[in-house]
Amino acid sequence: MKLYYFSEMPHHEYPDAEGDKYPSLRLAFPNRFFDREKAAANYQRYLTEYELADEVGFDGLMINEHHSTPSCVNVGANMTAAVLARTTKRAKLLILGNILPIEDNPVRMAEQIAMADLISGGRVLSGFVRGVGVETWWANTNPIHNRERFEECHDLILKCWTDPGPFRWEGKHYHFRHVNPWCLPLQKPHPPIWVPGTASPETAVWAGRLGYTYVPFLVPFAVARELFDFYRRGAAEAGREVTPDKLGFLICAVTADTKAKALEAGRHFVWRMGPTLRAPVDWFQPVGMRSKAARQFALKARPRTLSQMSYEELVAEHFIVAGTPEEVAETFALVHKEIGVGHLLLEAQESKMDHPTTMRSIELMGAKVIPAIAKL
Amino acid sequence: MRFREETIRVGDVDVHTWVGGQGTPLLVLHGAGGNRGATRWMEQVAERCTVWAPTHPGFGRSGDAEWMDGIDDLARFHLWFIEAAKLGRPHVLGHSIGGWTAAEMAAMSPGALARLILVAPAGLKPESGEILDIFFHSPAELRALTVHDPATVPEWEALFGKAPTPAELEIAERNREMTARLTWKPYMHNPRLARFLPRVSNPALVVWGREDRIVPVECGELYRRALPNATLSVLEKCGHLPPVEQPDAFARLVLEFLGATK
Repeated sequence: MKLYYFSEMPHHEYPDAEGDKYPSLRLAFPNRFFDREKAAANYQRYLTEYELADEVGFDGLMINEHHSTPSCVNVGANMTAAVLARTTKRAKLLILGNILPIEDNPVRMAEQIAMADLISGGRVLSGFVRGVGVETWWANTNPIHNRERFEECHDLILKCWTDPGPFRWEGKHYHFRHVNPWCLPLQKPHPPIWVPGTASPETAVWAGRLGYTYVPFLVPFAVARELFDFYRRGAAEAGREVTPDKLGFLICAVTADTKAKALEAGRHFVWRMGPTLRAPVDWFQPVGMRSKAARQFALKARPRTLSQMSYEELVAEHFIVAGTPEEVAETFALVHKEIGVGHLLLEAQESKMDHPTTMRSIELMGAKVIPAIAKL
Repeated sequence: MRFREETIRVGDVDVHTWVGGQGTPLLVLHGAGGNRGATRWMEQVAERCTVWAPTHPGFGRSGDAEWMDGIDDLARFHLWFIEAAKLGRPHVLGHSIGGWTAAEMAAMSPGALARLILVAPAGLKPESGEILDIFFHSPAELRALTVHDPATVPEWEALFGKAPTPAELEIAERNREMTARLTWKPYMHNPRLARFLPRVSNPALVVWGREDRIVPVECGELYRRALPNATLSVLEKCGHLPPVEQPDAFARLVLEFLGATK
C-alpha cells in the first residue's frame, strides 16, 4: 500500500471566537482576519514539510485547492504542483484535484497540468474533482450544470492531451475554435487520472467505467465499500478489472515518539472536522448540485456528520489516526484489510499543529511506518 | 368561482394550467415559489376575467424543459402558450420571475399582449440595493424574508400553515432547481432588458410592496421610468408577495387597471 502526505495549507491564524460569530468559516468569515505575514511564513513552512515528506520516502504528495476559507489557503493546486515539481525529487505529485466544473478554460488547465508534469519529470497524478458547493458559490457557476461541466471539461482536457491539434471544440458549456496546446504532458498518453468521492454514486460509476483511481474521503469503511461497489459496477460495464491500485482512501493521521504526544497533536484535526465544515446546508450543497440519488446516499452514508463526533469517536472510527509509529502502522494495516486499497492518503497537517511536531511525524512515518506497510 | 385544471401541450411540454373565470383572458405567470393555484385575489379577479395560470416548465406538475437557459427562453415559451391555448391577445400579469418573464415577452412581441401587470418583477439590476440571493438562504429563512408580516396574511394558514408532504417537498426542490437554471447568472436580471423596455408601449401597471426584501422597491421606479406607458403602485406594509399579503387591495388594483370593475 502506497502512502501519500497531504497538507491542506490551513490558515487557522485567528481567534476561534471570531470565527464562531459567522454562519460559516467559508464564504462569510471576513478576510480581514487573513494575516498576510503569517500566511507568507506558513506557505514556506508547508512547502518545507512537503519537501521532507518527499525526502523520507512518501510515495506521493497530495495537493488540493479550496477558496474563500481558512481551512485551506492553497488556492491554486497547479501552482503548488509547479513549485513542488522543482523542489522535490521523487514523490508523485497527486493533484486532487483540479475543480473542473468551475473552470471556464479547460484548455488552459490542460496546459498547466502538462507543464507541471514536464517540470516534475513526469510525476503528476492528475485528480479531477467536482468541488464542494462553496467553490461553486466562489466561482458563481450554476450548480445545475455541475456534473455536465465536470464531464465536458474532463473530455476536453483529455482531448487536449491525446488528440493532435489544431482542433475545434463546440460543446454545450465550452466553445473553442482553435485548440492547439503547445504544452503536452511528459507521461504518455497523459498522467494517470484520480477522482475522489464522498457521496455521489454517479461519480464512482463514472470513474470505474473510465478506469480512474477512485478515492473516498473521510467516510466510514462500510460507506467506502459501498462506493467501491458502485465503482466496480462501472468497471464491469466497461469490462475493466479492478486492482487495489485503482482504489484509495483518505484519513487524517499523525505520529509521534509517544502515544500521548500523538494524541495531543491529533486533537488539532477536530477543527477540520467541525468548525471548518459548519455552514448552512445550501453553502455546501447548492440547489441542483447533487442528484436525488446522491442526496439519498449522503443521508444514508452520514447519519451523523463528522462535526457531531467527539475526538475520541473520530479516533475510534479511524477518521483520525494518532499514535506511535507502530500503532499507526497497525491501523493502516487494518484499513488495508478492511477495504483493500492500494493508496492511503494522509491529511497530516493542521496549522495549529506546530512545525516541529509535523516534521517529527513526517520523519517517523518515513523511518518506521512506510517500511512497515510497504509489503501490504 | 370554480377553477379547473387543464394540461396544455406546448411544443414538447405538457403544461399544467389552472383556468377559471369569465371575460377577457388574463395570463398569470407565477414566481419562483411555484404556482399556488386559485388563491383569494385570483378568485376575485376571475369574476371579471378568464384567468389562465400555467405552471412554468420544470415547475410543479408541468413537464421538463432542461434546454432552457434563461428567462428569455421562458418568455418565448409563454408566447407559444398564448397561441397553443388560443388566448388571442391577453392581458398578462406576472409576479417576481413571472413578472420578469412578462416584461421579456412584451419586449419580444409587444403586439401579442394587451395590458401588462408586473408585480415585484425581477429582471432589472437595482441602482443602489441588491436583489436577495434566494439560493443562499434556506427555504425557512427565505419565507421569513419574503413577506412583511405573516400575521397580516389572510391565507397564511392555508398556504403555509402545515408541514409540507414529501411530494410537496419534491416539487419545492424542483421549483428551486428550475429557478436556478433560469436565473443564476447574471443573477435575477438581464443587463439588456432596460434597453428593450422603452419600445414596449402597452399600458402597464407596476405593483410593489414597500417592504420588499427580495427585489428592492427602487426597481419599481426603474420599471416605471423604462416603460413609456406605466404607472407604479406601491403597497404599504407589504413585502414581496402583494397578491398573497394584500389580496383584496391587489385584486382591486388589477381590476381597476383592466377597466373591469363592476
